[in-house]
Amino acid sequence: MKKIVEITHMSKRFGSTVALDDVDLEAYEGEIRGLIGENGSGKSTVTSIYAGMQKADAGTMLFEGKEWHPSSMNDALKKGVGMIVQENGTVPGISVAENIYLGEIDSYKKGPFVDLGRLNRDAQKALDDIGAGHINAAQITGMLDFQDRKLIEIAKVMVNDPKVLVVDETTTALSQKGREIIYSIMNKMRDDGKTVIFISHDLDEIMSVCDRLTVLRDGKIIRTFDKEEFEENAIKTSMIGRELQGNYYRDDYEEPAEKETVLKAEHLNLGNQLVDFSFELKKGEILGVGGLSHCGMHTLGKVLFGAMMPQSGTFTVHGKPVTSIHDAMKKQIGYVAKDRDTESLSLDASIKDNIAIAGLDKFSIKNFLILPSKENAYVKKQADALSIKCAGINQYVSALSGGNKQKVAFGKWLGRESEILILDCPTRGVDIGVKQAMYQLMYKMRNEGKSILLISEEMAELIGMSDRILIMKDGELKKELVRSRDLSEADVIQYMI
Amino acid sequence: MKKQHIKDMIFRIAPIVGLLILFALFMVFAVIKDINIPYSMKNILNQSVIVIVVATGAIFIYTLGSFDISLGANMCVSALIGAMAYNRTGSVLVMLGACVLCAVLISLVCSVLASVFHLPVFVTTIAMLSLLNAGVLMLIGANGTGDIVQVPADAVSAINTVEFKLLVLCLYLAVCIFVFNFLKLGREEKFVGGNPECARLTGLNNSRLAILAFIMAGIGVGLGSFLTITYAPTLSRNTASSVGMDVIISIVFGGMPVSGGARSKIYSAVVGALSMTLLSQIMLMLNLNSGISQMVKAIIFILVVYISMSDNKKNNLPR
Repeated sequence: MKKIVEITHMSKRFGSTVALDDVDLEAYEGEIRGLIGENGSGKSTVTSIYAGMQKADAGTMLFEGKEWHPSSMNDALKKGVGMIVQENGTVPGISVAENIYLGEIDSYKKGPFVDLGRLNRDAQKALDDIGAGHINAAQITGMLDFQDRKLIEIAKVMVNDPKVLVVDETTTALSQKGREIIYSIMNKMRDDGKTVIFISHDLDEIMSVCDRLTVLRDGKIIRTFDKEEFEENAIKTSMIGRELQGNYYRDDYEEPAEKETVLKAEHLNLGNQLVDFSFELKKGEILGVGGLSHCGMHTLGKVLFGAMMPQSGTFTVHGKPVTSIHDAMKKQIGYVAKDRDTESLSLDASIKDNIAIAGLDKFSIKNFLILPSKENAYVKKQADALSIKCAGINQYVSALSGGNKQKVAFGKWLGRESEILILDCPTRGVDIGVKQAMYQLMYKMRNEGKSILLISEEMAELIGMSDRILIMKDGELKKELVRSRDLSEADVIQYMI
Repeated sequence: MKKQHIKDMIFRIAPIVGLLILFALFMVFAVIKDINIPYSMKNILNQSVIVIVVATGAIFIYTLGSFDISLGANMCVSALIGAMAYNRTGSVLVMLGACVLCAVLISLVCSVLASVFHLPVFVTTIAMLSLLNAGVLMLIGANGTGDIVQVPADAVSAINTVEFKLLVLCLYLAVCIFVFNFLKLGREEKFVGGNPECARLTGLNNSRLAILAFIMAGIGVGLGSFLTITYAPTLSRNTASSVGMDVIISIVFGGMPVSGGARSKIYSAVVGALSMTLLSQIMLMLNLNSGISQMVKAIIFILVVYISMSDNKKNNLPR
């Protein structure tokens, strides 16, 4: 196989942080190369440099044997290297078609005007080609959900027919359908003799999709595994530099000891997102909720927290209705949103600001006066309990890794001693070590009698952690599955699609 | 990590260092030009106090990531109402009460309208600016002598002292610092400014907080209009016309992030207003005309915003 990507002795620092330390990496035609490692290991940095997003401090790059110096991501894309980034990369205020052909609108000019008809037709074809024909090319991008915006980015890259495609942690934002679209694109590229560099925290996914797998840790390449060498524990050990102690998911199969219903939803309706939806959450239970992207599970989380009001139906906590977010918090409900950076955290604020804000009524005097000593003690307790890696509680959240940001989002609600936690994709973009810590924390909370509604797009997570799983489809409850050793992903998927 | 910490600290103290440098330059030029330093200092304080008071209150609005373009017009209307109240009653206390009440009511209307119609608050302040300008003309037309409304100078001469103004400033500043840093309200304001959606999903009532921020700012505007009457008892349509812009420039010059949020600081108002007044004085001592002086201020304003924003960009580099 011909070497298409070649990186040698690449180094990169952000201030005093060494992001890449003398990294050598190569990828070949006709392969899907996986990159895996903990948050901050350097996966996104090395690929983003190759895709023209930023510059390296040292090192050389070759593309098809020639020196490679892309001036921007657009330049790289035009020359054959495309990247789909982890976070949102679309412009919300313009149409889907304009996003797909951003920077190329000149080629659609007809005199002083833009030929919108041709632009929309071409964009629609690009969407159809990747299997995202359900998206209307003329629609304003900001009206679409996270998954569809991601699919637009994929279409934008694929219309340029790249020889190398970098997929950075994209699948965590996608439901099963979205994932299938991206897997089929990746497989087709490999079959056509092109190259895919695939970054994911999902070990099962990366092991099933990739031909070879390179592990990074602390900005260094640790090891590259060939397909026949793939072995879960060996990869995990390479990633974290030690053997993972204890269980990943919980290993018990007992029913919750308590039978008391803490949250009850009856006949909830909200557009096509919730259709006559009813369920009960018991004390000391982890209740999983899964489904495809538009099934309504994320809306359900927001409704139960009082952030959206259903058109009809009721939901109560200990028999009393929830009327607003404020009311939900008074009833000891906590909510970790899926979109961490925009909904769960204020990035430009400190760890202290973020954790304290949800608990002001807990440590302020008469719900009014804040004493710094009490506030610091409150925040420090959560930071210590969650082992947040930071220079101090006054550190800005924007400077934390994804996993530690997620811990801060958890810390907001743990400090309030929430009795009911609604967790929407709580391990999205989180590395394996932090993931395990979060699972252990959830299990500990369950055993302490707290109730958790775990909304997740990862079937393994739902099966591994939930006492019961509710499968949603088109806003309806399709199936309720009870925890069992025999429950497989196939059992779950059949009710989703 | 340590480097970032040092950089953050530099950005935090840069406005204070800037103020000290300007003060040193002022002293140097005052000595060279043989200018009466105590008299000039008194002048600087007289000029700064009103802007500092108004800017201190306005910090609550800017912290939310919003702004109020009608501050100057609000001040003019409130001063006119205060002057009319004095002329009817002969009481300075009534004048003070009328100024503060009027300013708070105007701020309240702005923020409540924004809350009722779900509009960004600055949109209602633009509409309010037009209404207030019309109000100024009506008030002067109905109650003034020609183009002005006057309070007898001897009625306010006793309180037209630097000491009194500093007392008002210190009291208001102390209240604002306390609210901003030690009350739940201040914390919530800062959090809303950082990320309104996250704040909403953490149970904060963004509309209620905007209303409270405007009330705090209204008190500052009311006090500012009261001090304006004591300093210049003859009020015209041009009274406080430049205050709105001076407040914006001062706040930014004092190190306040343009987007508001957790990095907002009350002292930005004090540091910024003093710095701007010192800068004006220095340029006056250098015999630069007011046109050049305005240009220098504009350039510095853009530079400060650029530097603060470029630092923010670096903080958000992909990891």
